[in-house]
Amino acid sequence: MDSQIHKIHQQLVNKEISCTALVQEKLDLLKQNTNHTVNSLLDSLALDLAAKVDTKIAKGETIGLLEGIPFGIKDVYMVQGTYTTASSNLLKNYKSAYTATAIQKLLDAGAIPIVKENCDSFGHGSSSENTIFGAVKNAIDPNLVGGGSSGGSAVNVAKDYTVFSIGGDTGGSVRQPAGYNKVYGLKPTYGRISRYGLMAYASSTDCVGPIAKSLEDIRIVLNVMSGKDIKDQTTYVSEPISEASLSSSQDIKTVGYFKNFIESEAIDAQVKADFLASIDKIKAKGIEVKALDFFESETLVSTYYTLAMAETASNLSRLDGTNYGNRIEAENLKETYAVTRSENFSEETKRRIVGGNQVLSQGFADEIYLKALAIRDQISGNFETDFNEVDVIISPVTPSTPPKIGNSLKDPLAMYLSDAYTVGFSLGQLPTLTVPQGTTTGLQITAAKDKDELVLKFANFLKDTI
Amino acid sequence: MSKIMTVDVLSSIKGAQPSEAVNKLFEVIKNANPSNTNTFNNKRNNGVSLNELRDDVVIESSAVEKQIILENFPKQKHGYLVVSKVIEE
Repeated sequence: MDSQIHKIHQQLVNKEISCTALVQEKLDLLKQNTNHTVNSLLDSLALDLAAKVDTKIAKGETIGLLEGIPFGIKDVYMVQGTYTTASSNLLKNYKSAYTATAIQKLLDAGAIPIVKENCDSFGHGSSSENTIFGAVKNAIDPNLVGGGSSGGSAVNVAKDYTVFSIGGDTGGSVRQPAGYNKVYGLKPTYGRISRYGLMAYASSTDCVGPIAKSLEDIRIVLNVMSGKDIKDQTTYVSEPISEASLSSSQDIKTVGYFKNFIESEAIDAQVKADFLASIDKIKAKGIEVKALDFFESETLVSTYYTLAMAETASNLSRLDGTNYGNRIEAENLKETYAVTRSENFSEETKRRIVGGNQVLSQGFADEIYLKALAIRDQISGNFETDFNEVDVIISPVTPSTPPKIGNSLKDPLAMYLSDAYTVGFSLGQLPTLTVPQGTTTGLQITAAKDKDELVLKFANFLKDTI
Repeated sequence: MSKIMTVDVLSSIKGAQPSEAVNKLFEVIKNANPSNTNTFNNKRNNGVSLNELRDDVVIESSAVEKQIILENFPKQKHGYLVVSKVIEE
């Protein structure tokens, strides 16, 4: 199977390239890049690790598959001793005291972290414009947004600045930028990968997600990061997915899609036509395709944002400049909190915190928050019924093509609604993969909980089908 | 506590006002009619069983971890964290 990781591994083993030269080349590319993908470079750490890999190879010792492979990390993951800013003013000088479990597993496997990547501040955005490091520019057309919130990560992979990158997906933040930059991006089943050390946005949907240029690389990285972690008690034990298992798609007999996604007035005519053409190609392979009923986009988006805002208001309440953060002194403690938060949070982050506190406050909780939770249960129930009828569900990633830089934050409601096709699967905690095929911003493949393998299998089948 | 707190106070954000865009999302929820209003069913139950709870033990932080935590303190005097004057209400 096509794999950048396997290819580089072989080059290292055969001594065609040195790990130091490889890492230096990537660091140079990142340093010179004009897409605003970098928050900080981990150059000395990366070069030290690369030298160790070279020493091992020179001694004739065996190296693991991920050993020496340079990768990027969205700047919301703790990596001990590195700046972890969440692209925010509040944490612009914050250093991680410890390392996230998912990242530690990659480090233990020998992968080399080279960059902390630009993103929307605290994951609050769909365009990677809500950042103090400058709007991330799309890898294909720099006048367009890089997508968000893991925009820097997707662009780095698309541009070959990193071999793979680790993004974070709460409502589509890995899948949408992957689609906008034509690479693979996976949101695994909620709980498959530990969230320990991932800065919390909305804890009930936050997922660690790999972004890569090939399906095989997604599989390799997913396997390394997965597993139960005592530090995140929502994690569960999962089986590793073998390379061989992806080559057979015989157990996928029925595919579903949501009628209302395609019949929506908001969908771009070309995206719709391309999606329907993909459906025809799947049918031509003898697979049954079923049109399914689903919730209206407005309901999905409103439910997701109600719950995500409530959770982020709670999660970000700890950021008050007391123990860490860019404190701004005022006359007393309460004023210090308020001034620190007012001056350091972006407009979009403040909008979400205020929205969250609105729905959690007395008088609104029953009418909005608890009702949104009930709708979420109905959405999950709907998925359970659907997966009795179909093996996987496919959808476009976004209703339209990437917007121009400068437009998204002016119209927050339009930005929220642009997440219509991704947020439902987040609420359902389902494994969903963006593949760079089918429409101009790709296709999403979703399966039932813990069926991540099935998602990858179908993606492998689609590679040669559409 | 019967005091009404406005969103700017609740959020510790000066002058914060509810946003029109966000209110439009909330209106959709207000007007929705979910068939099931029992919000404590087990569809999104991520709870941990008692048997799986981790041991309640204190894990000593490493020296480097402690050093970084100190480095992150916004103000420091003689090695101690300094907070703003505490208010009493």
